[in-house]
Amino acid sequence: MAILLQIGVVLLICLLSEIVSLLLPFPFPGSVIAMIILFILLAAGVIKVGHIRQKAEFMLKNMAFFFIPAGVGIMEYFDVLKSCIVPFIVICVVSTILTFAATAGTVALIMRLQHRYRGRKGGDQDA
Amino acid sequence: MREITSSPFFGITLCVFTYTFYQRLQHRFHTPLLNPMLWTVVTIIAVLQLFGIPIEDFNQGGDIISLFLSPATAVLAVSIFNQLSVLKKNLLPILGGCFVGAVTSITSVILLSKAFGLEEQIQTALIPKSVTTPIAMAVSEQMGGLVPVTVAAVVVTGIIGCVCTPFLLRVLRIKDPVTAGIAIGACSHALGTTKAIEISETHGAMSGIAIGMSGILTVLITLFL
Repeated sequence: MAILLQIGVVLLICLLSEIVSLLLPFPFPGSVIAMIILFILLAAGVIKVGHIRQKAEFMLKNMAFFFIPAGVGIMEYFDVLKSCIVPFIVICVVSTILTFAATAGTVALIMRLQHRYRGRKGGDQDA
Repeated sequence: MREITSSPFFGITLCVFTYTFYQRLQHRFHTPLLNPMLWTVVTIIAVLQLFGIPIEDFNQGGDIISLFLSPATAVLAVSIFNQLSVLKKNLLPILGGCFVGAVTSITSVILLSKAFGLEEQIQTALIPKSVTTPIAMAVSEQMGGLVPVTVAAVVVTGIIGCVCTPFLLRVLRIKDPVTAGIAIGACSHALGTTKAIEISETHGAMSGIAIGMSGILTVLITLFL
């Protein structure tokens, strides 16, 4: 599909998500609603991946680029950050390592439990 | 001078050329420390400070780039959809892992912030640090955190993920690509995912799923905070 149309499709979904966001009784980020809408449309076969492939690949590949202005915005908050730079870094490092370990541990544990359960049933080929 | 810098084209071209410069640099030296986004932000801040250009001028173009954060998040649905079969087969471990990961991330940030006696606005800004930027920004904004601090925390977390996860995989002896990929994505979102892609295709795909999954779970969990 033509690039312009692919961009149009994704932007239309974003517009729809803003409408849904206004209608929801609680605050929920419009960008996440757009992701859910697109996933539902893909799963329902209304949109084919091919319809938006180039646009999606372009955005995913260059994802970091779109965050630059938000990152530059931090210069307005240098004074706030200066007072807490040490806790800021420590929290990021410790919390990231804990999150990694907890996630990996849980995935491995549930997989092992699944395998044991399937193994007992004896029928499943990937047990 | 202000006539030039207050043009939207100033901010946009500054971003594009600085970013592509660092992309090439990283391409040549292949180190997570040369993260193009990080260094582009550092360089642009330095340029603005050095020449006394107000951030309002830069944002004339910057706001246009930021507009695309929403479509960038939306297209994550495509990468999740592409991995639907792996997702279905490992749905329970993936969901469980991302849920425990999100809870661990949020809880550890709150406890550590309390231990350091951080201000409420900063603590709130740090809560969504392990999820992808557009979601983290939205969560922080809705909870009343300082959004730029969130962006900084997300970037710093992503870089920590890029640098530390290969080491953590070795220390914790994690060999299964699904386990490894989900853990990388859950703790360090898209920036960590760039590292996962380097390890193997499955690592990358799983990490991609974890970005979306952890993002949604974090949004849901923070609704109850």
